[in-house]
Order: sequence, then structure tokens, then C-alpha cells
Amino acid sequence: MEGNPRRYGSGFDWLLAVPLIVYLLLIAGLITGVFATITRKAILEAFGEPALLHSIKLSIVTSVASTLLSVLVAIPAGYVLSRRRFPGHFLVDTLLDLPIVLPPLVMGLCVLIFFNTAVGRWLDRGVVEKGLFVYQPLGIVLVQFVVGCAFAVRVIKAGFDSLDPQYEEVAMTLGANRRQTFFKVILPNVVPSLVAGGVISWARIFGLFGPILLVCGTMRYRTEIMPTTIFLETSIGRIEVALVVGACMILISMTTLIVFKRLGGKGYLW
Amino acid sequence: MVEDEGIRLQDVSFRIGEFAIENLSFAVRSGEHFVLTGPNGAGKTVVVKLIAGLFQPTAGLILINGRPVTDLPPWGRNIGYVPQDGVLFPNRTVRENIGFGLEVRHRGRRAIHNEVKRAASMMDIEHLLDRMPRGLSGGERQKVSLARALVFKPSVLLLDEPVSAIDEEARDGLCRNLRSIQREAGVTTLHVSHNRKETALVADRVGVLVDGNLREMIESGSFSEVDASGNK
Repeated sequence: MEGNPRRYGSGFDWLLAVPLIVYLLLIAGLITGVFATITRKAILEAFGEPALLHSIKLSIVTSVASTLLSVLVAIPAGYVLSRRRFPGHFLVDTLLDLPIVLPPLVMGLCVLIFFNTAVGRWLDRGVVEKGLFVYQPLGIVLVQFVVGCAFAVRVIKAGFDSLDPQYEEVAMTLGANRRQTFFKVILPNVVPSLVAGGVISWARIFGLFGPILLVCGTMRYRTEIMPTTIFLETSIGRIEVALVVGACMILISMTTLIVFKRLGGKGYLW
Repeated sequence: MVEDEGIRLQDVSFRIGEFAIENLSFAVRSGEHFVLTGPNGAGKTVVVKLIAGLFQPTAGLILINGRPVTDLPPWGRNIGYVPQDGVLFPNRTVRENIGFGLEVRHRGRRAIHNEVKRAASMMDIEHLLDRMPRGLSGGERQKVSLARALVFKPSVLLLDEPVSAIDEEARDGLCRNLRSIQREAGVTTLHVSHNRKETALVADRVGVLVDGNLREMIESGSFSEVDASGNK
């Protein structure tokens, strides 16, 4: 007779699951609270304003752009940090942790200060008179990238760390040069960590608020993104509309996470 | 330099951590199945990696079929390398694993298809071609790894304890198979092993390496006396 093998001590497993159940109930309760509070009138009011649709579009476009940029930078950076030891390796590794440890507001302040230096001013206004970054949509991408890239590097480097160097050795002895080895053997075998790096970076970026407010402000139809919409609507007392925007962020986050998890298979985050 | 030498190491020195090889010299005859044996930590794998180009010697010369390869990268040496546990690429099917060496040499799709089929048939693994490496047994993995190393007709074959992770019955069969394929292909082979029976089954000649020094060379017929530690 076939059946599941008997597991001994499953009562202990259930005991260990208690904190998980409590935490899940807390999260589910909070999210349900948001959706339960939303009224039909608030939904119609929120989506009746083109400004909200613009902020949703800008949020998605900027977060996707900065996530892609973060992953593109994190792939070579993670590989070099994983496979090479060079003078100052420890310092570089520690510097990379700074955007993870520092409050995002401090990172935003650093970006703002940078654009007050001669180099920063030239970069911002040297080519385009009205500015490229400060109070501009491109500034949102820059701030999101500055904060989010470190997360992608950390996760993707962990993927390279866990890949047996023997794969590279064997590939090279079979006739693959460094480029072929990297693209045909190394990268395809760290796809789950690339996806995980992208997800964790996007998750950090999508809800970013403080540093974007500092560098880009929150101008309707220009630099207003979903978190800043929530701030604006709350500050003028339109809590119901802010809740609709919050619910949209929850739905977008859930959908993105589900799609990424299905795409990435078994990764380092799940 | 003798003309019929497949591999020659000439006064090769190398250091990694506490371990060092000083002025190591020996040659493997062309078409010969040479077994390098010795105790753990003797430097057998280091020698294989030096020949493969995965380690760079601090001094000395390495020649393959009379051609100096000391300063060539691994991909410029035309060698077939089989590590201890096969190291099959997990993202590729068995077919794609075997065809890897041909793919990176930009061979045509049809040529790759035919050569892979021929190599798989030689190793009796045609039925595995569309499988992923994950579900293969130890013996199957090593057969795939051998087919992958032989398919592009390498100048020399380097086997680093290729059957040590396989059970004894399968090991003997694979050793006999390996021996007949090596003879048929006539490829110069350096085979690292510390198993006496495996050595007796495949070797034309045995070199005993102890602490990075080649202590002894034993000609065919007398190596049944050699034990795993290199002692007679």
C-alpha cells in the first residue's frame, strides 16, 4: 500500500509553526483591513483623476527601469566580488553594504548634496538647461538605483558564491573562452539568483518614498509616484483615495512577486 | 624531447599554500594510458590542473604533442578533462553537455548532432541523451563526462579519479570500457587513481607521486605490486 512516509515528531513542527501563523494572521489582517475600508465612491474618485493613473504609470516605469539597471550592474559586480580577491576587496564589499544599512533618507540627502557640487551641477544642468535629475523623472530612477542596486549585488553575488567553480574550469578545458564560459555556463546556472536579486531590488525600490521626495519633490504629472500620492492624499485629508492607491500597490506587488517566483523557480529567497 | 611523447613536464615548479612541486619532470608516451598514483595530498590533481592550464607553473615547461602550452589558456590546449564527479552542466541536457566542446568550436548543428550521437553510442548512453543530469547515477554521469571530453577529439585526455565515486561493480565495467575506448581512439591519457584494481585494469604505465615528486615509474606487468600509497 502506498502512502506518505510517517513523520515522527510532527507535533513539534506545528509548535514551531505557531510564530509563522501569528505573523501571517497579522499581515493578512492588515491587508484585509485596507481592502475592507475602501468604498466604491473612493475608487471612482481616485480613478476619475488622471493624476493617479499617471503616478501608477510613472511608478511602474521608473521601478522597472531602475531594477533592470540594478541587475545589469549587479551581474558583473557580483561576479567580480565573488570570484576575485583584490586589494581593497573588504572595503568595496563594506561600501556596498552601506545603501542597505543606511536609512534611505540619508541616501537621498547624499544624492541631493552631490547635485549641489560642481560635478553634480554639471551632470544635472550641463546638457539640459531645465535639469536632468533634480525634480525630474530621471532623478527618480537615479535615487531608486542608488538604493536598490546594493540589494541586487548582494543577492546575485551569493548566487555566484554558491556556484561550484569546477563548472568554469571544466568549460574552459572543453574549449570555452572566458566570454563563452560566462554566457553559456555561469549565467544560465545563476538565473534563480538573478531573478531573486531583481525581486528584492524591485521590492525595495517600488515603495521608496523619502529620498525621492527630497531629490525630485512630488509634482503632479511630473514626479509624482504612488508612495508620494499616498503622502499627498493623506496630507490633504483624502484618506479613502490614499487607501485606494495603497491597495493598488499591494495588488501590483503581489502580482509581481507571483510572476517572478513562477519565472525564477527555486531561488535564494524562496 | 622525444618525438612520440604526448605529454611532457620539464622541471615544472608550482606552489599552492603549503604544498609545493619542485622541478617535476616526466613524460607520457603518445597514445599511452598513463596512471598517476600516490597517497592523498601527493599532488596528483595539481599535476592534472597544471597540464590542463587551470594552474600556472612558477617555472618549467609543459608540452603537449611536442607543442609548448605552458603559457596557453585552458581553451587553447585541446584537452579533454574529466573531473572526479563528472561536473555536468546542470542547465543542459546530456546531449547539450556532450556537444558543449563542439558548440564552443562553432561546429555546425548537423555535425554536432552526428558527433554527439557517435560519442553517446561509444559510451552506450544513447538512451540518456534527452535527460537532464540531475537524475543520473554516478556511473552514468561519468560516462557522459567521458563522452563530452572525447567528442571533439582532444590531443590528450586527463582523468582525475574518474571512477572513484562509483560502486565497485560499475567501476570495473567502466574501466574496461574506458580502456577499450582509449585504445580505439589512440588518445594519450593521464589518469589519476589511487585504486590498485582500477590501475591494473587500465594502465600501460604507472607513475608514483609522493609529496610532489615522482618517486617511481613502473612499466606494464609489474604494477599489480603497487598499493594505493605508492608502496611496493
